[in-house]
Amino acid sequence: MADANDPVVPVIQRLIADHPAAPARLIVGDLWIGPNPKVNNMIRGYREAKYDWVVISDSNVRVAPDYLKRMVAHLDLGVGIMTSLVAGQNAEGIGGNLEATFLNTYYARGMSLAFAVKQPVVLGKSMMFRKSVAARFGGLEVLSRYLAEDYICGEAVRQLGLRTVMATDPVAQHIGQYSFSSFWARHIRWGRIRKMQSPLLFWFEPFLGIFASAIFGALAFQRLFGISPVLFACIHLTLWSVCDLLLMRRLGQKVEVKMPLFWFGRELLGLPMWLHIASGNTVNWRGERLKLQSGGILEANPPALSGATFNGRTQAQSSASLSLGNSDEQPSS
Amino acid sequence: MFLADLHMHSTFSDGKLSIPELVDLYGQRGFGAIAITDHLCEDQTFLGKAAGYLKQTLTRATWPLYIEILRSEAERAWHQYRMVVIPGFELTKNSVSNHRSAHILAIGATEFMPANDDVLMLARQVRAQGALAIAAHPVSTRKVEKQTFHLWDRREELRAEFDAWEVASGPYIFDEVRESKLPVVASSDLHAPIQMTSWKTVFECERSQGAIMDAIRKQRLSYTFYRDPAGDREVVKNDDVTHAAFPLGSRYRADHLGNVAGA
Repeated sequence: MADANDPVVPVIQRLIADHPAAPARLIVGDLWIGPNPKVNNMIRGYREAKYDWVVISDSNVRVAPDYLKRMVAHLDLGVGIMTSLVAGQNAEGIGGNLEATFLNTYYARGMSLAFAVKQPVVLGKSMMFRKSVAARFGGLEVLSRYLAEDYICGEAVRQLGLRTVMATDPVAQHIGQYSFSSFWARHIRWGRIRKMQSPLLFWFEPFLGIFASAIFGALAFQRLFGISPVLFACIHLTLWSVCDLLLMRRLGQKVEVKMPLFWFGRELLGLPMWLHIASGNTVNWRGERLKLQSGGILEANPPALSGATFNGRTQAQSSASLSLGNSDEQPSS
Repeated sequence: MFLADLHMHSTFSDGKLSIPELVDLYGQRGFGAIAITDHLCEDQTFLGKAAGYLKQTLTRATWPLYIEILRSEAERAWHQYRMVVIPGFELTKNSVSNHRSAHILAIGATEFMPANDDVLMLARQVRAQGALAIAAHPVSTRKVEKQTFHLWDRREELRAEFDAWEVASGPYIFDEVRESKLPVVASSDLHAPIQMTSWKTVFECERSQGAIMDAIRKQRLSYTFYRDPAGDREVVKNDDVTHAAFPLGSRYRADHLGNVAGA
């Protein structure tokens, strides 16, 4: 925990007390090792982790009871990192529902497509890797220089010739009440990270939305095959929307009348959001304004006591990391 | 005595193999030293920016991972194969004109540096961090590919600024360089395993980075044609190999060079 006053502290303490057989310890306080605040939050737990396998799971992620067992089932020596699809659930309000729709359509199909074309990406909401593998690329210490430590972790694993594997079951992100501005700011941040890391792909992102792909597809099919643009657009919009709605349902989004409305709203917001992303290189995260450099690297801005423990960030979102047994031992959850 | 290859590329730029795969490729063949030298392109020119967009070059962002993976793989290579892995990069200045294009190997470099300056300044910056500045394929490589003649055009001016010039690259030996009396090394410029059959440098010094760099500076080396014993894929297409000269040692001949790696 970054902050000793975090309301989750007594919950964790009670969990530890209820399971005395599980070797667990609560570590309070973060350590500045780089400009990425999430890595600063995790680094002490990471360094003190006893075993080789490390799971990083954000505090707003809910996993099934057999989550670890299912993750471990995929592990072999050729696997460098495991990640999971994130399903937005329990959304409330306009921002929350848009957020859930974004996760359950745009990101879900984008991530699935990336794995299908052998260009896997890692989502830091839930990931698992070996400390011994991370040590080969400099560990979390190196990742602290980047804003998207998850993406870089996946890239490092690829550079080591190891595989990134996606778990068969998605993890659930509890969304709850979410303001529109929070939703917008979060996706501007994610988008700018993507833009700085893969600028070439970023220019094609509008085509992952329904409208741009419908317009260009209709024009192309008319030119190549003489198919009516209106007919193409109707078929395209119908198929796309039905597939998206099925995906949203599959990922646990509540089925209700307003679901198509949020879906349509998200699609409408796609282009303005992309333009906003394209217009700048700074992001706001955890109360800090961070400037991204090419490749998603962050400008270092150490606190006054560089390297010292510091607490008390009011907007900190905690991340929990725990160490699992290595391949010779039974993992525990 | 051991074989060394001082010019190769990994997946950090346009190579086909990851750094661990390169280590295993050479380690399993008994090489004594390799230098991994991924492209580090200019970031202010169109071609340099394009390389960055296409992820064909080291960048400031990928540098920390690159150097850390090199460090850990160097340790593994030593423990597993007794092979020295030297960090480095290839400063890559590409232009539409071959006579404005130049590639400079920085062997032993561990600090990132942009490739935007003039080649003379770049060579000085490389040497200022204790690394070797080596002119990569300075004359025609005899292949259909981008050629880099700029360093060769300025060879008299740059003579004192470079520790060595590549006298062979891949399967081709450069008579112009051999006859110039410039200090030399021979390397593969390997991008894929099929290019293993190529010219390599032979050292008789201690297996350490410092000793190898010193041997290059003092030109205590020879070069040889290495035929990869793992595959029969013939990649040599010119006659240079058959009448190749061995200026600093004639004991290595093309017909038995596959055994040298195990020496």
